[in-house]
Amino acid sequence: MTSAIAAAAAPAAALAAPSLEARALVRDLGDEVKTRILHGIDLAIAPGEFVSVTGPSGSGKSTLLYLLGALDRPTSGDVLIEGVSTVGLDDRARGARRGERLGFVFQFHFLLPEFTALENVIIPMLRRRDIPRADARARARAVLDQLGIGELGGRRPTQLSGGQQQRVSIARAIAHGPRILLADEPTGNLDSAAGEAVLGIFETLVRDRGMTIVMVTHEPSYARRAQREIRLRDGRIVEIAAGAPATVTTR
Amino acid sequence: MRATLFIAGRQLWHRKLLNGIAVLGVMLGVLTLIAITGIMRGFQTKFLDTILQISPHVVVFDKTLGDTTPIVDQLLGGPSATAIVRQTSTDRQQRIARPTETVRAMRALEGVAAVAPLVVGSAVASAGSKETPVELRGIDPEVQDVVTPLRSMVVDGQLGGLTGAVDGAMIGHQLADLLGVKVGDNLSCASALGDRVVLRVVAIFETGVAALDKGRIYVATRRAQTILGRGDAIDRIELRLVDPDRAPAVTAQLEALFHYDAESWQETNASMLGVFDQQNMITGLIIGAVLLVGGFGILSIQIMIVLEKRRDIALLKSVGYGSRDVLAIFLTEGAVIAVLGAALGAAAGHVVLAGMRLLKSASGMGYSKPSTFAIYERPIVYVLAFGFAVGVGLLASLVPAWRASRVEPVDVLRGT
Repeated sequence: MTSAIAAAAAPAAALAAPSLEARALVRDLGDEVKTRILHGIDLAIAPGEFVSVTGPSGSGKSTLLYLLGALDRPTSGDVLIEGVSTVGLDDRARGARRGERLGFVFQFHFLLPEFTALENVIIPMLRRRDIPRADARARARAVLDQLGIGELGGRRPTQLSGGQQQRVSIARAIAHGPRILLADEPTGNLDSAAGEAVLGIFETLVRDRGMTIVMVTHEPSYARRAQREIRLRDGRIVEIAAGAPATVTTR
Repeated sequence: MRATLFIAGRQLWHRKLLNGIAVLGVMLGVLTLIAITGIMRGFQTKFLDTILQISPHVVVFDKTLGDTTPIVDQLLGGPSATAIVRQTSTDRQQRIARPTETVRAMRALEGVAAVAPLVVGSAVASAGSKETPVELRGIDPEVQDVVTPLRSMVVDGQLGGLTGAVDGAMIGHQLADLLGVKVGDNLSCASALGDRVVLRVVAIFETGVAALDKGRIYVATRRAQTILGRGDAIDRIELRLVDPDRAPAVTAQLEALFHYDAESWQETNASMLGVFDQQNMITGLIIGAVLLVGGFGILSIQIMIVLEKRRDIALLKSVGYGSRDVLAIFLTEGAVIAVLGAALGAAAGHVVLAGMRLLKSASGMGYSKPSTFAIYERPIVYVLAFGFAVGVGLLASLVPAWRASRVEPVDVLRGT
């Protein structure tokens, strides 16, 4: 993978700090009756690593992903994105950090229905002053081409199949050049062929671009294709199926 | 900014019907404001213009105030007579003492443009077998013309005829119709205390005010004094001011200086001006209510859109948009609706007023002569309507925009 995406990506080796790091991460939910969803997660994910997170429903997979992506605030503990703590950041700074450093892919594509596929890919870049509009458009076109849906850029989301919609959402997540991609059940709403295609794209991004990917999935066969598989149960990491033990600890 | 405009513009266009309804609400509000203001203020302005054209700005009556000595007597060293040895009925009537000196003193006051002494009384005018009660006014036509421009109201004959012929009379056109007389004809005029005098019609006037056109006769001062049995009395002084709005202040000054009862045109027309105030208040309430309904239209539609778009808002926030960005997007949408509605409403208001100008008011609105509608149309009305509508629109979109900006992406993602 070359061109706009590759140009925006920094060599993984240049980063000394882990891409993502969770320190004693605790998350309680509920207003009056608190339920502890995560029980002190310690986790470090290296640059260029492809990690899957699995576990039964309610084990805290998505909550962990939202915390790692600074979409949510922990009850206690900290999340570091490329070495920078997110706990002390206000909403605006956290939003800016998400917009610059991270890309998100959700089970439901969340494409904005008023916009074409190309515009959906452009929208995250529009708020960035460092990316001129013409560049944003060029990058979006390049990424859609690379994901094999360049000719669909002018279509509205409702005119696309589920697999095509998810490819557009992946394009949206990576076009602005983040080093980290967080995916929450990205294949959960797709048939096996489309799901396989999405996994193929992820593997390409890791291999060719050196992206760090954290993917929450229910699908064991997809989980096993990651370099490490982190299994959660009841808010705790219970097993690490692969990977270097030095980078992952449980509390 | 570019992202805000891009997203807001596209979302507005995507919901053309809903947002069109909101635009329509604002448009109707602005249209109502401009049309009602144009018609109501037009009538009021026309009324006031007519009043200021045909009526004096201040009238000084012969009724004295308190027990003080008039200023002319003060200046001239006290009353001219110390004892009255014989009174006639004419002597007992009220009058303005030393009218020539008083008028001269009033002319010298700041802000006074012209002063005219006159005598006014009730009489009966008759011609042939027809007779009708009239208000008889004895004037010096040249002096009176400066205070209330009579010459401009003459539709037949000459105002100068009043001074040219001792028995000349200028009568209203409806009175002329009523008595069946025209310029050059004679009519008879008498009062309870004076003599019956035959007058020759030298001019016919039309003020546009029905009460005056069918009930007023102007004659030379001396002739009126004879008909009314007033001797050489002057019982009224009328003033024209440089600035009519200063009439209440000048009135107070005249009363303080001359100790005669004086009345400004605002006091004379207080009941009508009070009606105008009430009209303006009711109009303001109606316009405010219509604009508020327009505002509530934006509010309800925007709230509905925000509820519907929670997922999209969550997505925008997850890709880096902040609460302020989301707030700006929805405020921009509200502003565009308000500006568009206000612009269309202003254009429609202009068209409606242009149409109203062509319509004829059948009744003359109970006061003036039948004519086309008087329309008040000033840029300031459009500016105020526009500003008010945009203000209401922005205010109405503030709540939904605030709610949108408070959406936590993680709450939406968990609920999906």
